[in-house]
Amino acid sequence: MADENDDFLKPKHIKFFERCLQILPSRYSSLDTNRMTIAFFALSGLDLLNSLDRIEKEKESIIKWVYSLQILPNNTGSNICQCGFRGSSTNTGKNSQKTENKLKLDSGHIAMTYTAIASLLILGDDLSGVNKSAILTALRNLQQEDGSFCCVPEGSENDMRFVYCAACICYMLNDWSGMNVEKAVQFVQKSQSYEGGIGQGPGLEAHGGSTFCAVAALSLMNKLKTSFSEKKLKQLQRWCICRQQSGFQGRPNKPTDTCYSFWVGATLKLIDTYHLINSEFNRGFLMETQGSITGGFSKWPDHTPDALHAYLGLGGLSLLGEEGVLPMHAALNISQRASNHLHSLHSKWKN
Amino acid sequence: MHYRRILLKELKKDLKEELKYITDMILSHPKNYQVWHHRQVIVDWLRDPANELEFTAKILKKDAKNYHCWQYRQWVLREFGLWDQELAYIDTLLKEDLRNNSAWNQRYFVVSNTTGFTEQVVNQEVEYTQEFIKKAPNNESAWNYLKGVLMDFELHKYPGLLDFCQQLYDERYRSPYLIACMIDTYEEMLEQNCGEQREVLEKAVSLCRSLAEEYDTIRSEYWNFLSRILSSKYGSENAVQTSS
Repeated sequence: MADENDDFLKPKHIKFFERCLQILPSRYSSLDTNRMTIAFFALSGLDLLNSLDRIEKEKESIIKWVYSLQILPNNTGSNICQCGFRGSSTNTGKNSQKTENKLKLDSGHIAMTYTAIASLLILGDDLSGVNKSAILTALRNLQQEDGSFCCVPEGSENDMRFVYCAACICYMLNDWSGMNVEKAVQFVQKSQSYEGGIGQGPGLEAHGGSTFCAVAALSLMNKLKTSFSEKKLKQLQRWCICRQQSGFQGRPNKPTDTCYSFWVGATLKLIDTYHLINSEFNRGFLMETQGSITGGFSKWPDHTPDALHAYLGLGGLSLLGEEGVLPMHAALNISQRASNHLHSLHSKWKN
Repeated sequence: MHYRRILLKELKKDLKEELKYITDMILSHPKNYQVWHHRQVIVDWLRDPANELEFTAKILKKDAKNYHCWQYRQWVLREFGLWDQELAYIDTLLKEDLRNNSAWNQRYFVVSNTTGFTEQVVNQEVEYTQEFIKKAPNNESAWNYLKGVLMDFELHKYPGLLDFCQQLYDERYRSPYLIACMIDTYEEMLEQNCGEQREVLEKAVSLCRSLAEEYDTIRSEYWNFLSRILSSKYGSENAVQTSS
């Protein structure tokens, strides 16, 4: 494969992710409260490109920054359900006075907690600064009667994305007391649509993103083998396989989009069907969506690359075994190297 | 948004005004999760869904597949029991674009929450879908709906389904979804050992081959895989083994 892949613009992608960590174009400003997720895409992207050495000098300060976003329990423990990680300091104002009322509104966000912990792992941190029990208590509080999760304790929409985040958090902290697994499994089962794929919730249209969230969550819970009947699994397999057009689409009769090479690809990997896709077409599509000047990947050919599609495009290539890209832990959506580090932490915690 | 809702309550703001505000926000950010959730909370507080179906229809007019909008519309229908006109609305959407997968999904959602898939409803829905398939045999959405409607039935026992497929096939249509539906029907027949096993298997295997080699080559590995599974499960050697 080595000489076949000169079309893969690896050096440009490395620079793209480095830039994401430093300075972003103004169109990202509305994402400021989600800064943690952008950092995750950049860090995990650099990791997949085996280029974390590029940010060697900044590693410590990034770890510090991530920890600065953690909300810890106060003296009375009255804020326990608000614990976790924030997406940025935008809404809290690092230097402004923290009044009692302000603290009431200062809560973690399930997706930020997940990406913060994942980012710490990627950076080689041992998670000793993570308040595990507070996070797990807060997480339990986010689970709804139907098994799904909200993202913040003040209430929000509840769907499959947050079931996935919750499963990642429990898996990484190696402690499933953060959720009622049985209820979460039932929520996933009820969300499988008549088409075979899985929606954001019961009754909703099957979608590549929610299908990944559902299947990956089951895999992390170690419930993948027991949650689908043979018939339902076959339908899921067929639905996923049918998403391939050249790259993958997220739903029938929708355009192909870079991110689904990962979302649907990783789902197929988890249900042991990935070897049945057409790799050549998939790779060809991904190559076309590279930003030839800036690096990164965009949603569609000849569009502007962004951090999410850059990371997931790279993830798609990792699943394909592209030369120069590290293999992934498909369910956790991080490199296998980072997941190996996690598993070695787990063994240490046991002793 | 949470902070905003606290203020709305504390300051006893006019929620109708807030609904106008969030309408503008959604119109300018139709794919943002939070704005839709905010609308849901406000409408829930107001307990007044009078404008909601019209509003969501307006958004869907611009993007008929906006997932957030469909999700919200489903909440409105369920929360306030506004099912009456929904099938008619979906029908107009499907007539505008029969490939609108979200509309097909909504159809399934409405039927399962109202009449349920009784025998009579299934018959109607099959007939309805077949008309759309005849217009565009290569439309995956309609085929998926057809198979979804028949999920609790057995494809091969459903009167006329295989004939319907065979007729299209004889008219020289080679849609991968048509052929896949025939394969699925044959697979069921094999599973339940009805019909001439060897003959049915041969048909299924040859259809798999035609997809792999000619009509759905991007999925050739998959169709070959399926063909191998069927052959090893229901092939003659295996049959001899199990009967001995």
